[in-house]
Amino acid sequence: MTLTAERVSMTFGGLVALDDVTLAVPGNRITGLIGPNGAGKTTLFNCLTGLYAPTSGRILLDGRPLAADPAQAMRGGVARTFQNIRLFPGMSALDNVLVGRHTRIKQGLLAALLHGPGFRKSEAAATERARAELEFVGLGPEGHMPARSLAYGDQRRLEIARALAGDPAVLMLDEPTAGMNGTETADISALITAIRDRGIAVVVIEHDTKFIFSLCDHVYVLVRGRMLVDGPPATVRTDPRVIEAYLGATECSK
Amino acid sequence: MLVGALLPWASTVLPGGAYPDRATLQFFDAPHLVSGFRLHLVLLGVLAALLSRARKPAGIGVAVIALVHMGFLIGLGAPSIGGPVALAGGLLLMWPGLTAPAPELKPPGPAVARLVLLVAFAALVWLVSETLTAGGQSRATNPYGGAEFLAFCGLVLALACALSAYGVLAWLAALTDRHRFFAFSVMLVCALALPFTDAGTGYWMTVASTIGVYAATAIGLNIVVGLAGLLDLGYVAFLGIGAFTAANLAHVVPFPVAALAGTATAGILGIVVGAPTLRVRGDYLAIVTLAFGEIFFRAAQNNIGGLTGGANSIPGIPPISMFGHAFDKPLGVLPAGSLYYAVTVVMVAVAMVMLVNLRHSRTGRAWAAIREDEDVARAMGVRTGRAKILAFLVGSMMAGLAGAVFAHKLGTVGYESFDFSESVTLLAAVVLGGMGTVPGAVVGASLLFVLPEKLREFSDYRLMLFGLALILIMRFRPRGLVSS
Ligand SMILES: Nc1ncnc2c1ncn2[C@@H]1O[C@H](COP(=O)(O)OP(=O)(O)O)[C@@H](O)[C@H]1O
Ligand SMILES: [Mg+2]
Repeated sequence: MTLTAERVSMTFGGLVALDDVTLAVPGNRITGLIGPNGAGKTTLFNCLTGLYAPTSGRILLDGRPLAADPAQAMRGGVARTFQNIRLFPGMSALDNVLVGRHTRIKQGLLAALLHGPGFRKSEAAATERARAELEFVGLGPEGHMPARSLAYGDQRRLEIARALAGDPAVLMLDEPTAGMNGTETADISALITAIRDRGIAVVVIEHDTKFIFSLCDHVYVLVRGRMLVDGPPATVRTDPRVIEAYLGATECSK
Repeated sequence: MLVGALLPWASTVLPGGAYPDRATLQFFDAPHLVSGFRLHLVLLGVLAALLSRARKPAGIGVAVIALVHMGFLIGLGAPSIGGPVALAGGLLLMWPGLTAPAPELKPPGPAVARLVLLVAFAALVWLVSETLTAGGQSRATNPYGGAEFLAFCGLVLALACALSAYGVLAWLAALTDRHRFFAFSVMLVCALALPFTDAGTGYWMTVASTIGVYAATAIGLNIVVGLAGLLDLGYVAFLGIGAFTAANLAHVVPFPVAALAGTATAGILGIVVGAPTLRVRGDYLAIVTLAFGEIFFRAAQNNIGGLTGGANSIPGIPPISMFGHAFDKPLGVLPAGSLYYAVTVVMVAVAMVMLVNLRHSRTGRAWAAIREDEDVARAMGVRTGRAKILAFLVGSMMAGLAGAVFAHKLGTVGYESFDFSESVTLLAAVVLGGMGTVPGAVVGASLLFVLPEKLREFSDYRLMLFGLALILIMRFRPRGLVSS
């Protein structure tokens, strides 16, 4: 399964957030997306997951165009997390994950009203799967704590579990290690590798270039809405344009 | 240090047998009150003396009873001497002192659990019957009725708080959850047994079935507001639509058909209202639904379409009649109105099952997700528009069904029953009782619709008392009386 953005542009009023961006996410790989703040990375994610309709250009899933409809993207196998954690705070961790599985659960309204045997089977299967995802990301399988009461790092993990519950072919993580210390970052990096080993393509947005270059198979560099370079970490790391435009910029800002 | 050492002493010495008697000395001359206020105060005093964790709840109860008393006596123009003493005692009891840790309640075996549930629900129904009948039927038969009722409420409140302080309520809730089916059946049977208690008179059955209608409606609203988080300020219009539909069909078709028609009409209008509101959220949604409620109210008032009778109402709606028996007549030992009561109990039970089942389903989780964060719900693949319309549909159908029963039960339907204040009261019932919880809507509806019935003599202050109660509850239990 490949997810591609084909010559995507996105403008907000007069502001050009994305300018003729092309990106391909091959199956079974970890793809990195780096760039300074405001480069348009999150906007590109929003286009790829159907939240935004690009001003021009197309999003293709396995060659077929994807409408600007998150439900269709989710059904098609594109799931995501958010840069600022956005869980359903008052719902239990388990219910959060079950909402992530929404598009894969088949239950009619009548079945939901009557709770017949077919319904109970589907509910039990969904719950079992949700618990498995909670365990996979390293949270307890019970998950009856409300999401808001979880520790910060656990909330990030819960968001990943919620996205995984939707059976994605492509998982998009928007700054999954933001605000984490060294050990926590290493744990997340191991988790991302484990997700890739399940046969799921992963796209990661990150600021931490060390993290990206050690983890990814392929790296895209987005600067001021334009795709500057892309290639394997070794070539991107040494590309003078990247050093000037991106690495230089962060060094200055530090 | 000194204060800390004195407090437990003060709270054990003061509340004992001595002070309640002193406090009640000047209360009323009427002999029957010995079993009323004084008994309550003595009971609470003993409770506080014996159980340290129950001290604060008892204090609350004593203070409430004292306040009711003082208010009532001052209203009669008589000075209250016992009142302030009792109030002081109550406040002292509430003073935080040393308390024993809560005992740990272990979950019992299934057989014991069932027995406990049986006893608990039977006790609950008995308590409901006592609360309903406390203070008698009206001012005509007992001039102190209102005050007696309020004082009894104080006692019930204290008992509930005490049980809660010992973790008994949470323990019972856990048992109910574990043996869901059994608990539900027992509850249904116990509720149906109400006509056999003190409340088994035609008058109380009528009151109870009115509460039932509003409770079912409140549960429907709870689906819309509590589960899906859609603030609907014109909800009572759907009750009206169900009622007017049934009223117009009552002479033509039997009740089940009229009820179905009322349910369906309300459901269709629910979709009609729901669809254009999909683009608005929060405050804006509230305003749109408010406008819809007002449109319905004005249309009904002016008899637009000739379906509502306008100011004349629609009179002469025949009672529900099945197997040749009209539901407003007594049946065997059952007093008149019992059959309507049974109908409403079944209706509330169905509504409860619907609410619980929906909450624990894909649809219910989608609603909760929309309530928590609509954008993310959409990003997770929830078709938010469809889910919201579904919430409106289910909620308005529930109200439509309740409306059909309402029409047959009352015999006349007029537009005044469906004005804005009714929507607000229903909403208050949901918020007071606890959003999204099942017993919450029932408790809230019972309180808000039984209080005016009980407190006729306070009718001038009714809205003020409502407001006061709302503020107090939101201050001390912001998530509702029955929070999950
Ligand atoms: N919904 C929006 N409306 C207006 N401007 C937006 C919106 N989303 C993003 N932008 C703008 O687009 C640019 C790119 O933002 P973003 O994609 O969040 O950057 P990044 O994630 O790379 O830090 C920024 O200038 C931002 O202000
Ligand atoms: Mg961003």
